[in-house]
Amino acid sequence: MPLVDANIQLSEVVESHSSLIPVLNRFGIKLGLGDKSVKEICKEYELDTDFFLSVINTFLNEEYFPEKKLQSFHTSQIIDYLTKMNFYYLKFQLPNIERHLNSFISMSKPTNQSLKLIGKFFASFKNELTARIEKDQQQWFPYCLGLSKKLKGDQHKEPDLLLDPEEHSEDTIEALLADLKSIMIKHLSGTYDQNLCYAVLFSISSLEKDIKQHNRIRYRILVPMVSAMEQHVSNQNS
Amino acid sequence: MQRTKHIAIILSDTLQSTGLQSLIMDYFHPAEISYYPGFSLFAKVAYDSFDYYFTDAETFTINADFFLPRKMKACILIHQSDPLPHTLTPYYIGVNTPQEVIIEQLQTMFSADNHTLPYEGNKELSPRETDVLQLIAKGSTNKKIADKLHISLNTVLSHRKNITAKLGIKTVSGLTFYAIMNGVISADNMEL
Repeated sequence: MPLVDANIQLSEVVESHSSLIPVLNRFGIKLGLGDKSVKEICKEYELDTDFFLSVINTFLNEEYFPEKKLQSFHTSQIIDYLTKMNFYYLKFQLPNIERHLNSFISMSKPTNQSLKLIGKFFASFKNELTARIEKDQQQWFPYCLGLSKKLKGDQHKEPDLLLDPEEHSEDTIEALLADLKSIMIKHLSGTYDQNLCYAVLFSISSLEKDIKQHNRIRYRILVPMVSAMEQHVSNQNS
Repeated sequence: MQRTKHIAIILSDTLQSTGLQSLIMDYFHPAEISYYPGFSLFAKVAYDSFDYYFTDAETFTINADFFLPRKMKACILIHQSDPLPHTLTPYYIGVNTPQEVIIEQLQTMFSADNHTLPYEGNKELSPRETDVLQLIAKGSTNKKIADKLHISLNTVLSHRKNITAKLGIKTVSGLTFYAIMNGVISADNMEL
């Protein structure tokens, strides 16, 4: 699909891609967009138009991922966005899936063992994600911001933790979600409420899409940024 | 996952070839398309690595040595006024027919050839893999599995790799779920 540019009416984009609405909300943009262009909206909400456009374009096109451009933004912008995503998972997407899942399980036959298992499976996914978010907010993000401040000379103290290259051979969170989805699609059995099942799958898929974008930014933008900064800091010290 | 089709388009007409590429990309994804304006350019590459060839009647006839043995993979673009090249290949596309007809012709070609594409292999787990799955689902580590089955750690790893490939499930939670659903272990003797 064509890339969104600054002069396009934002309402038109949202009309054909309603999945963008949560992304807009993260930037603080509310519906009632009127006829305003992307540029005008960004001005109104005091957002960096370039950054906003990069985020929505990478969200809409899975193949589009301008690494160089994204890495040119400020660390704090990236972290701010990832933080908002994390918050959105905890506050909305996880509870939303849970709500559907709980009624899915309780509305279906109580004898259906597979549904209970799915419930347990989801619980273990939720634990993983919650743990990662906690670590982000308490350790990793503050560390990244500390590095960037230190490089600007605003802070002379060495950031506390200089480790954790966030290995990304396999992202468990993405893998768990993919498994959960494929298991429901391939191996569900017994009697269950089909409509609620769809609601569960739909909410899982939208979280999956979101997490994919999160992970791409995380592993391909933030991680390289941080190792570049670490390099700088250690050069300064030597 | 659908297998990616490797397609060579050997046509001197740029617009024809662009149009064909865009139809294939829109309706028959995933495909990797290479474009050659002439047969001589095409002949320089590893031309047997393609699953399908698109070309015109003239190129086909001149290079019959190449195309005839591969005629089940070749498709000829023809004009309505041309005689039907049935003798050359079973597949052809009329360049001046409506788009829906062309799509149907492409569909016929791509679906007919499916059985000759490499078979994905047996998806059933072998008895040994089932043993390994059982232990994974019970929460055993790779080391424990190796000890218990008297096999090496590497063998366990390769079994795990095969299990994941066959079932399409990567995580321990997913494998456990699969094991219970399919009676590999019973729900009572495990904790998810």
